[in-house]
Amino acid sequence: MTKQQTILVIDDNEDVLTTITQFLSQKNFTILSASNGLDALKICETEKEAIDLIITDLVMPSISGVAIISIVKEKYPNIPIVAITGWGEHPESLAAEAKADIVMEKPFDLSHLHNIIKKLLDGK
Amino acid sequence: MVIPLIGVSQSIERIRELIKHVADTGLNIVITGESGVGKEVVAQNLYYHSPRKTKPFVKVNCAALPDGLLESELFGFERGAFTGAERKKRGKFELAHQGVLFLDEIGDMSFPLQAKLLHVLQSGEFAPLGSEKEVKTDTWIIAATNNELEKNIKTGNFREDLYYRLNIIKIFIPPLRKRPEDIPPLVDYYIEQYTSQFDNKQLLRPNSQAMDRLMAYHWPGNIRELQNILKRFLVICDWDEITDELINRPVSLVDTTPTSITTPSPASTPSLAEASEPLFDFNDGNAPELDAFSLKEIRKKALDKVEKQAIEYVLDKTGWNRSKASKILKISYKTLLYKISDLNIIPPR
Repeated sequence: MTKQQTILVIDDNEDVLTTITQFLSQKNFTILSASNGLDALKICETEKEAIDLIITDLVMPSISGVAIISIVKEKYPNIPIVAITGWGEHPESLAAEAKADIVMEKPFDLSHLHNIIKKLLDGK
Repeated sequence: MVIPLIGVSQSIERIRELIKHVADTGLNIVITGESGVGKEVVAQNLYYHSPRKTKPFVKVNCAALPDGLLESELFGFERGAFTGAERKKRGKFELAHQGVLFLDEIGDMSFPLQAKLLHVLQSGEFAPLGSEKEVKTDTWIIAATNNELEKNIKTGNFREDLYYRLNIIKIFIPPLRKRPEDIPPLVDYYIEQYTSQFDNKQLLRPNSQAMDRLMAYHWPGNIRELQNILKRFLVICDWDEITDELINRPVSLVDTTPTSITTPSPASTPSLAEASEPLFDFNDGNAPELDAFSLKEIRKKALDKVEKQAIEYVLDKTGWNRSKASKILKISYKTLLYKISDLNIIPPR
Protein backbone atom coordinates (compact mmCIF):
# COMPACT_ATOMS: atom_id res chain seq x y z
CA MET A 1 0.00 0.00 0.00
CA THR A 2 1.42 3.41 -0.95
CA LYS A 3 1.68 6.19 1.61
CA GLN A 4 -1.01 8.87 1.42
CA GLN A 5 0.42 12.14 0.20
CA THR A 6 -0.04 15.26 2.31
CA ILE A 7 -1.28 18.61 1.02
CA LEU A 8 -1.36 21.85 2.98
CA VAL A 9 -4.26 24.07 1.88
CA ILE A 10 -4.20 27.77 2.86
CA ASP A 11 -7.13 30.13 2.29
CA ASP A 12 -8.73 32.81 4.47
CA ASN A 13 -12.09 32.12 2.85
CA GLU A 14 -13.60 29.29 4.89
CA ASP A 15 -15.94 28.21 2.08
CA VAL A 16 -13.09 27.84 -0.42
CA LEU A 17 -10.93 26.10 2.21
CA THR A 18 -13.69 23.61 3.04
CA THR A 19 -14.50 22.91 -0.61
CA ILE A 20 -10.89 22.18 -1.55
CA THR A 21 -10.04 20.17 1.57
CA GLN A 22 -13.19 18.02 1.30
CA PHE A 23 -12.56 17.38 -2.39
CA LEU A 24 -8.92 16.40 -1.86
CA SER A 25 -9.78 14.20 1.15
CA GLN A 26 -12.11 12.26 -1.13
CA LYS A 27 -9.20 11.86 -3.54
CA ASN A 28 -7.25 10.12 -0.77
CA PHE A 29 -4.85 12.88 0.22
CA THR A 30 -4.01 13.67 3.81
CA ILE A 31 -5.01 17.28 4.34
CA LEU A 32 -3.55 19.97 6.56
CA SER A 33 -5.26 23.34 6.48
CA ALA A 34 -4.71 26.92 7.65
CA SER A 35 -6.94 29.95 7.36
CA ASN A 36 -4.10 32.49 7.69
CA GLY A 37 -0.46 32.86 6.75
CA LEU A 38 1.03 32.72 10.24
CA ASP A 39 -0.65 29.41 11.10
CA ALA A 40 0.44 28.12 7.68
CA LEU A 41 4.09 28.98 8.36
CA LYS A 42 3.91 27.26 11.74
CA ILE A 43 2.50 24.11 10.10
CA CYS A 44 5.26 24.28 7.47
CA GLU A 45 7.86 24.33 10.24
CA THR A 46 6.45 21.43 12.22
CA GLU A 47 5.32 19.30 9.26
CA LYS A 48 8.04 20.11 6.75
CA GLU A 49 8.96 16.44 6.35
CA ALA A 50 5.37 15.40 5.75
CA ILE A 51 4.12 18.06 3.33
CA ASP A 52 4.21 16.98 -0.32
CA LEU A 53 2.47 20.00 -1.85
CA ILE A 54 0.98 23.36 -0.87
CA ILE A 55 -2.07 25.10 -2.27
CA THR A 56 -2.30 28.73 -1.21
CA ASP A 57 -4.58 31.67 -1.77
CA LEU A 58 -2.61 34.80 -2.67
CA VAL A 59 -4.45 37.75 -1.17
CA MET A 60 -4.88 37.24 2.57
CA PRO A 61 -4.62 39.60 5.52
CA SER A 62 -1.25 39.81 7.33
CA ILE A 63 1.00 37.24 5.61
CA SER A 64 0.04 37.02 1.95
CA GLY A 65 0.26 33.95 -0.26
CA VAL A 66 3.13 35.63 -2.10
CA ALA A 67 5.04 35.78 1.21
CA ILE A 68 4.30 32.11 1.90
CA ILE A 69 5.54 31.10 -1.56
CA SER A 70 8.76 33.14 -1.13
CA ILE A 71 9.45 31.75 2.34
CA VAL A 72 8.64 28.12 1.46
CA LYS A 73 10.67 28.23 -1.76
CA GLU A 74 13.63 29.62 0.20
CA LYS A 75 13.45 27.13 3.06
CA TYR A 76 11.90 24.04 1.45
CA PRO A 77 12.50 24.39 -2.31
CA ASN A 78 11.32 20.86 -3.11
CA ILE A 79 7.72 21.44 -2.06
CA PRO A 80 5.63 22.34 -5.13
CA ILE A 81 3.16 25.19 -4.70
CA VAL A 82 -0.12 25.90 -6.45
CA ALA A 83 -1.24 29.54 -6.06
CA ILE A 84 -4.92 30.37 -6.43
CA THR A 85 -6.28 33.88 -6.75
CA GLY A 86 -9.25 35.91 -7.75
CA TRP A 87 -7.56 39.29 -7.53
CA GLY A 88 -6.24 39.86 -11.04
CA GLU A 89 -2.88 40.42 -12.65
CA HIS A 90 -0.75 41.99 -9.86
CA PRO A 91 -0.86 39.14 -7.31
CA GLU A 92 -0.54 36.63 -10.15
CA SER A 93 2.65 38.13 -11.51
CA LEU A 94 4.10 38.45 -7.98
CA ALA A 95 3.31 34.78 -7.33
CA ALA A 96 5.06 33.78 -10.56
CA GLU A 97 8.02 35.97 -9.58
CA ALA A 98 8.14 34.21 -6.20
CA LYS A 99 8.37 30.92 -8.17
CA ALA A 100 4.95 29.41 -7.58
CA ASP A 101 4.82 26.27 -9.73
CA ILE A 102 1.32 26.99 -11.02
CA VAL A 103 -0.91 30.06 -10.67
CA MET A 104 -4.64 29.36 -11.06
CA GLU A 105 -7.40 31.91 -11.32
CA LYS A 106 -10.58 31.51 -9.29
CA PRO A 107 -13.07 30.14 -10.10
CA PHE A 108 -11.51 26.90 -11.29
CA ASP A 109 -12.65 23.39 -11.93
CA LEU A 110 -11.73 21.03 -9.06
CA SER A 111 -10.90 18.19 -11.45
CA HIS A 112 -8.48 20.56 -13.22
CA LEU A 113 -6.85 21.26 -9.83
CA HIS A 114 -6.63 17.51 -9.21
CA ASN A 115 -4.87 16.96 -12.56
CA ILE A 116 -2.37 19.73 -11.80
CA ILE A 117 -1.65 18.25 -8.35
CA LYS A 118 -1.06 14.79 -9.83
CA LYS A 119 1.33 16.21 -12.45
CA LEU A 120 3.31 18.19 -9.86
CA LEU A 121 3.54 15.24 -7.47
CA ASP A 122 4.57 12.87 -10.26
CA GLY A 123 7.28 15.29 -11.27
CA LYS A 124 8.77 15.53 -7.76
CA MET B 1 18.96 49.09 22.04
CA VAL B 2 15.61 48.60 20.40
CA ILE B 3 12.43 49.54 22.26
CA PRO B 4 10.62 46.28 23.01
CA LEU B 5 7.09 45.68 21.85
CA ILE B 6 5.20 46.10 25.12
CA GLY B 7 1.83 44.45 25.70
CA VAL B 8 0.03 41.35 26.85
CA SER B 9 -2.98 41.55 24.52
CA GLN B 10 -3.60 38.80 22.00
CA SER B 11 -2.97 41.21 19.12
CA ILE B 12 0.46 42.22 20.44
CA GLU B 13 1.36 38.58 21.18
CA ARG B 14 0.40 37.77 17.59
CA ILE B 15 2.56 40.61 16.22
CA ARG B 16 5.52 39.37 18.28
CA GLU B 17 5.04 35.90 16.87
CA LEU B 18 4.73 37.23 13.35
CA ILE B 19 7.94 39.25 13.72
CA LYS B 20 9.82 36.08 14.68
CA HIS B 21 8.54 34.28 11.59
CA VAL B 22 9.16 36.99 8.99
CA ALA B 23 12.08 39.09 10.26
CA ASP B 24 14.64 36.98 8.42
CA THR B 25 12.82 37.00 5.08
CA GLY B 26 13.57 40.53 3.82
CA LEU B 27 10.09 40.59 2.25
CA ASN B 28 8.40 43.97 1.88
CA ILE B 29 6.19 44.86 4.82
CA VAL B 30 3.51 47.48 5.42
CA ILE B 31 2.70 48.38 9.02
CA THR B 32 -0.67 50.05 9.54
CA GLY B 33 -2.43 51.62 12.50
CA GLU B 34 -3.50 54.96 13.91
CA SER B 35 -0.97 57.67 14.77
CA GLY B 36 0.98 56.89 17.91
CA VAL B 37 0.35 53.12 18.07
CA GLY B 38 4.02 52.27 17.67
CA LYS B 39 4.53 51.48 13.98
CA GLU B 40 8.19 52.49 14.12
CA VAL B 41 8.71 50.31 17.19
CA VAL B 42 7.41 47.32 15.22
CA ALA B 43 9.69 48.25 12.29
CA GLN B 44 12.70 48.45 14.62
CA ASN B 45 11.80 45.10 16.17
CA LEU B 46 11.66 43.53 12.71
CA TYR B 47 15.08 45.01 11.96
CA TYR B 48 16.50 43.94 15.31
CA HIS B 49 15.41 40.32 14.80
CA SER B 50 16.72 40.22 11.22
CA PRO B 51 20.18 39.32 9.89
CA ARG B 52 20.42 43.00 8.84
CA LYS B 53 20.60 44.32 12.39
CA THR B 54 24.27 45.29 12.09
CA LYS B 55 23.54 47.34 8.94
CA PRO B 56 21.83 50.75 8.83
CA PHE B 57 18.20 51.43 9.72
CA VAL B 58 17.28 54.53 7.75
CA LYS B 59 14.00 56.34 8.28
CA VAL B 60 12.26 58.70 5.87
CA ASN B 61 8.98 60.47 6.62
CA CYS B 62 7.24 60.73 3.25
CA ALA B 63 4.76 63.31 4.56
CA ALA B 64 7.33 65.69 6.01
CA LEU B 65 9.07 66.70 2.79
CA PRO B 66 7.84 68.34 -0.41
CA ASP B 67 7.89 66.03 -3.41
CA GLY B 68 11.12 67.21 -5.08
CA LEU B 69 13.03 67.16 -1.82
CA LEU B 70 11.75 63.68 -0.96
CA GLU B 71 12.92 62.42 -4.34
CA SER B 72 16.44 63.76 -3.81
CA GLU B 73 16.44 62.45 -0.23
CA LEU B 74 15.53 58.96 -1.41
CA PHE B 75 17.67 58.67 -4.50
CA GLY B 76 20.39 61.29 -3.97
CA PHE B 77 21.80 63.48 -6.71
CA GLU B 78 24.91 64.13 -8.76
CA ARG B 79 26.84 67.38 -8.65
CA GLY B 80 25.13 69.87 -10.98
CA ALA B 81 21.89 67.84 -11.16
CA PHE B 82 19.96 71.05 -10.46
CA THR B 83 20.65 74.63 -9.43
CA GLY B 84 22.28 74.55 -6.04
CA ALA B 85 23.48 70.93 -6.27
CA GLU B 86 27.09 71.90 -5.66
CA ARG B 87 28.18 68.49 -4.51
CA LYS B 88 27.04 64.92 -4.94
CA LYS B 89 24.64 63.64 -2.28
CA ARG B 90 23.95 60.02 -1.43
CA GLY B 91 20.29 59.11 -1.14
CA LYS B 92 18.61 57.08 1.57
CA PHE B 93 18.43 54.03 -0.68
CA GLU B 94 22.21 54.09 -0.92
CA LEU B 95 22.64 54.76 2.79
CA ALA B 96 20.29 51.88 3.66
CA HIS B 97 22.10 49.41 1.39
CA GLN B 98 22.00 45.94 3.01
CA GLY B 99 19.94 47.40 5.83
CA VAL B 100 16.39 48.68 6.24
CA LEU B 101 14.68 51.68 4.67
CA PHE B 102 11.68 52.61 6.81
CA LEU B 103 9.26 54.66 4.72
CA ASP B 104 6.89 56.32 7.18
CA GLU B 105 3.58 57.80 5.95
CA ILE B 106 3.90 56.00 2.62
CA GLY B 107 0.26 56.89 1.85
CA ASP B 108 1.34 60.52 1.43
CA MET B 109 3.90 59.82 -1.28
CA SER B 110 3.05 61.48 -4.60
CA PHE B 111 1.93 59.41 -7.55
CA PRO B 112 5.04 60.14 -9.73
CA LEU B 113 7.35 59.23 -6.86
CA GLN B 114 5.38 56.03 -6.27
CA ALA B 115 6.29 55.03 -9.85
CA LYS B 116 9.98 55.55 -9.08
CA LEU B 117 9.72 53.54 -5.87
CA LEU B 118 7.98 50.75 -7.79
CA HIS B 119 10.85 50.71 -10.27
CA VAL B 120 13.38 50.22 -7.44
CA LEU B 121 11.30 47.45 -5.89
CA GLN B 122 10.97 45.66 -9.23
CA SER B 123 14.53 46.03 -10.46
CA GLY B 124 16.59 46.57 -7.30
CA GLU B 125 18.14 49.58 -9.06
CA PHE B 126 17.73 53.33 -9.04
CA ALA B 127 19.33 56.32 -10.69
CA PRO B 128 20.33 59.34 -8.57
CA LEU B 129 19.00 62.67 -9.92
CA GLY B 130 21.21 63.89 -12.73
CA SER B 131 22.75 60.48 -13.30
CA GLU B 132 22.15 58.14 -16.20
CA LYS B 133 23.76 55.26 -14.40
CA GLU B 134 21.59 52.92 -12.34
CA VAL B 135 22.89 51.94 -8.90
CA LYS B 136 22.10 48.52 -7.43
CA THR B 137 20.52 48.44 -4.00
CA ASP B 138 19.74 45.64 -1.57
CA THR B 139 17.38 47.35 0.80
CA TRP B 140 14.63 45.87 2.94
CA ILE B 141 11.61 48.10 2.62
CA ILE B 142 9.35 48.46 5.63
CA ALA B 143 6.61 51.02 5.03
CA ALA B 144 4.09 52.45 7.46
CA THR B 145 0.85 54.33 7.10
CA ASN B 146 -2.14 55.47 9.10
CA ASN B 147 -4.17 55.63 5.90
CA GLU B 148 -6.05 52.75 4.42
CA LEU B 149 -4.10 52.28 1.22
CA GLU B 150 -7.00 50.29 -0.27
CA LYS B 151 -9.12 53.46 -0.10
CA ASN B 152 -6.30 55.52 -1.60
CA ILE B 153 -6.25 53.10 -4.54
CA LYS B 154 -9.97 53.60 -5.08
CA THR B 155 -9.59 57.38 -5.02
CA GLY B 156 -6.68 57.15 -7.46
CA ASN B 157 -4.08 58.37 -4.95
CA PHE B 158 -2.10 55.16 -4.62
CA ARG B 159 -0.82 52.80 -7.31
CA GLU B 160 -2.37 49.35 -7.17
CA ASP B 161 0.79 47.66 -8.50
CA LEU B 162 2.90 49.32 -5.79
CA TYR B 163 0.33 48.36 -3.16
CA TYR B 164 0.58 44.65 -3.99
CA ARG B 165 4.37 44.79 -4.19
CA LEU B 166 4.68 46.46 -0.80
CA ASN B 167 1.90 44.59 0.89
CA ILE B 168 3.57 41.17 0.83
CA ILE B 169 3.23 41.20 4.59
CA LYS B 170 0.88 43.52 6.45
CA ILE B 171 1.05 44.15 10.17
CA PHE B 172 -1.92 45.96 11.69
CA ILE B 173 -1.45 47.45 15.17
CA PRO B 174 -4.81 48.01 16.88
CA PRO B 175 -5.41 51.32 18.70
CA LEU B 176 -4.71 51.37 22.44
CA ARG B 177 -8.42 51.73 23.31
CA LYS B 178 -9.01 48.28 21.77
CA ARG B 179 -6.40 46.68 24.03
CA PRO B 180 -6.63 48.31 27.50
CA GLU B 181 -4.90 45.30 29.04
CA ASP B 182 -1.69 46.64 27.49
CA ILE B 183 -1.87 49.89 29.47
CA PRO B 184 -0.48 48.62 32.84
CA PRO B 185 2.64 47.04 31.27
CA LEU B 186 3.13 50.16 29.12
CA VAL B 187 2.85 52.42 32.18
CA ASP B 188 5.31 50.21 34.07
CA TYR B 189 7.76 50.26 31.18
CA TYR B 190 7.70 54.04 30.73
CA ILE B 191 7.85 54.72 34.47
CA GLU B 192 11.01 52.64 34.57
CA GLN B 193 12.40 54.46 31.54
CA TYR B 194 11.65 57.94 32.87
CA THR B 195 12.90 57.05 36.35
CA SER B 196 16.27 56.21 34.87
CA GLN B 197 16.21 59.40 32.77
CA PHE B 198 15.26 61.69 35.65
CA ASP B 199 17.06 60.07 38.53
CA ASN B 200 16.16 62.80 40.98
CA LYS B 201 12.48 61.85 40.67
CA GLN B 202 10.87 59.07 42.66
CA LEU B 203 8.16 57.66 40.42
CA LEU B 204 5.55 55.36 41.88
CA ARG B 205 3.21 53.16 39.89
CA PRO B 206 -0.37 54.53 39.76
CA ASN B 207 -2.65 52.91 42.32
CA SER B 208 -5.36 50.58 41.08
CA GLN B 209 -8.02 53.31 40.90
CA ALA B 210 -5.78 55.54 38.79
CA MET B 211 -4.85 52.58 36.60
CA ASP B 212 -8.55 51.81 36.08
CA ARG B 213 -9.01 55.41 34.99
CA LEU B 214 -6.11 55.11 32.55
CA MET B 215 -7.53 51.88 31.17
CA ALA B 216 -10.99 53.38 30.72
CA TYR B 217 -9.68 56.39 28.80
CA HIS B 218 -9.93 56.17 24.99
CA TRP B 219 -6.39 57.34 24.10
CA PRO B 220 -7.00 58.98 20.71
CA GLY B 221 -3.27 59.69 20.48
CA ASN B 222 -2.48 56.12 21.53
CA ILE B 223 0.90 55.27 23.12
CA ARG B 224 2.39 58.64 22.18
CA GLU B 225 -0.35 60.33 24.21
CA LEU B 226 0.24 57.97 27.14
CA GLN B 227 3.96 58.83 27.04
CA ASN B 228 3.15 62.55 26.96
CA ILE B 229 0.79 62.31 29.91
CA LEU B 230 3.32 60.35 31.96
CA LYS B 231 6.06 62.86 31.09
CA ARG B 232 3.80 65.80 31.84
CA PHE B 233 2.87 64.44 35.21
CA LEU B 234 6.49 63.72 35.90
CA VAL B 235 7.31 67.37 35.40
CA ILE B 236 4.26 68.77 37.19
CA CYS B 237 4.33 66.83 40.43
CA ASP B 238 5.05 63.58 42.21
CA TRP B 239 3.02 60.43 41.72
CA ASP B 240 0.87 60.84 44.86
CA GLU B 241 -0.52 64.06 43.46
CA ILE B 242 -0.72 62.59 39.99
CA THR B 243 -2.88 59.65 41.00
CA ASP B 244 -5.21 61.97 42.95
CA GLU B 245 -5.41 64.28 39.96
CA LEU B 246 -6.18 61.39 37.62
CA ILE B 247 -9.00 60.11 39.78
CA ASN B 248 -10.53 63.55 40.23
CA ARG B 249 -9.65 64.86 36.81
CA PRO B 250 -12.71 66.46 35.23
CA VAL B 251 -13.48 64.79 31.94
CA SER B 252 -13.55 68.17 30.18
CA LEU B 253 -9.92 68.78 31.13
CA VAL B 254 -8.79 65.47 29.68
CA ASP B 255 -6.50 66.14 26.77
CA THR B 256 -8.89 65.34 23.93
CA THR B 257 -12.28 65.91 22.41
CA PRO B 258 -14.77 63.20 21.49
CA THR B 259 -14.42 64.00 17.79
CA SER B 260 -10.99 62.44 17.78
CA ILE B 261 -12.28 59.08 19.01
CA THR B 262 -14.30 58.41 15.93
CA THR B 263 -13.12 58.97 12.43
CA PRO B 264 -14.28 62.29 11.06
CA SER B 265 -16.53 61.52 8.13
CA PRO B 266 -18.37 64.16 6.11
CA ALA B 267 -21.45 63.52 8.23
CA SER B 268 -19.59 63.71 11.53
CA THR B 269 -17.20 66.52 10.73
CA PRO B 270 -17.67 69.21 13.32
CA SER B 271 -18.96 72.50 12.06
CA LEU B 272 -16.99 75.58 12.98
CA ALA B 273 -20.03 76.76 14.89
CA GLU B 274 -19.64 73.82 17.29
CA ALA B 275 -16.22 75.13 18.21
CA SER B 276 -17.83 78.00 20.05
CA GLU B 277 -19.70 75.66 22.41
CA PRO B 278 -18.53 76.12 26.00
CA LEU B 279 -15.85 73.75 27.24
CA PHE B 280 -17.71 73.27 30.51
CA ASP B 281 -21.24 73.83 31.61
CA PHE B 282 -20.62 75.68 34.83
CA ASN B 283 -24.21 75.10 35.95
CA ASP B 284 -24.49 71.32 35.73
CA GLY B 285 -21.68 70.28 38.00
CA ASN B 286 -19.42 69.39 35.08
CA ALA B 287 -17.05 72.27 35.77
CA PRO B 288 -13.58 71.61 37.12
CA GLU B 289 -12.97 71.52 40.84
CA LEU B 290 -12.03 74.97 42.14
CA ASP B 291 -8.51 73.89 42.98
CA ALA B 292 -8.09 72.60 39.41
CA PHE B 293 -8.95 76.00 37.89
CA SER B 294 -6.28 77.66 35.83
CA LEU B 295 -7.22 80.38 33.36
CA LYS B 296 -4.05 79.68 31.39
CA GLU B 297 -4.92 76.00 31.15
CA ILE B 298 -8.52 76.76 30.17
CA ARG B 299 -7.33 79.23 27.51
CA LYS B 300 -5.01 76.61 26.07
CA LYS B 301 -7.75 73.95 26.05
CA ALA B 302 -10.17 76.35 24.36
CA LEU B 303 -7.64 77.36 21.74
CA ASP B 304 -6.65 73.74 21.09
CA LYS B 305 -10.29 72.77 20.70
CA VAL B 306 -11.04 75.54 18.20
CA GLU B 307 -7.83 74.92 16.25
CA LYS B 308 -8.46 71.18 16.17
CA GLN B 309 -11.99 71.57 14.84
CA ALA B 310 -10.90 74.14 12.23
CA ILE B 311 -8.06 71.92 11.02
CA GLU B 312 -10.28 68.81 10.96
CA TYR B 313 -12.88 70.75 8.98
CA VAL B 314 -10.38 71.95 6.34
CA LEU B 315 -8.65 68.55 6.12
CA ASP B 316 -12.00 66.90 5.56
CA LYS B 317 -12.96 69.41 2.86
CA THR B 318 -9.63 68.90 1.07
CA GLY B 319 -9.78 65.10 1.32
CA TRP B 320 -6.79 65.21 3.73
CA ASN B 321 -4.59 66.96 1.19
CA ARG B 322 -2.24 68.50 3.75
CA SER B 323 -0.57 70.76 1.26
CA LYS B 324 -3.88 72.34 0.17
CA ALA B 325 -5.10 72.48 3.76
CA SER B 326 -2.01 74.37 4.94
CA LYS B 327 -2.54 76.96 2.19
CA ILE B 328 -6.20 77.43 3.14
CA LEU B 329 -5.32 77.71 6.83
CA LYS B 330 -2.46 80.10 5.94
CA ILE B 331 0.07 78.18 7.99
CA SER B 332 3.18 76.41 6.80
CA TYR B 333 3.01 72.74 5.79
CA LYS B 334 5.37 71.89 8.63
CA THR B 335 3.22 73.71 11.18
CA LEU B 336 0.17 71.83 9.95
CA LEU B 337 1.95 68.47 10.36
CA TYR B 338 3.00 69.49 13.85
CA LYS B 339 -0.54 70.49 14.77
CA ILE B 340 -2.01 67.28 13.36
CA SER B 341 0.32 65.35 15.61
CA ASP B 342 0.06 67.65 18.63
CA LEU B 343 -3.73 67.87 18.57
CA ASN B 344 -4.12 64.14 17.86
CA ILE B 345 -6.05 64.68 14.66
CA ILE B 346 -6.77 61.23 13.28
CA PRO B 347 -7.18 60.70 9.52
CA PRO B 348 -10.31 58.95 8.25
CA ARG B 349 -10.01 55.13 8.07
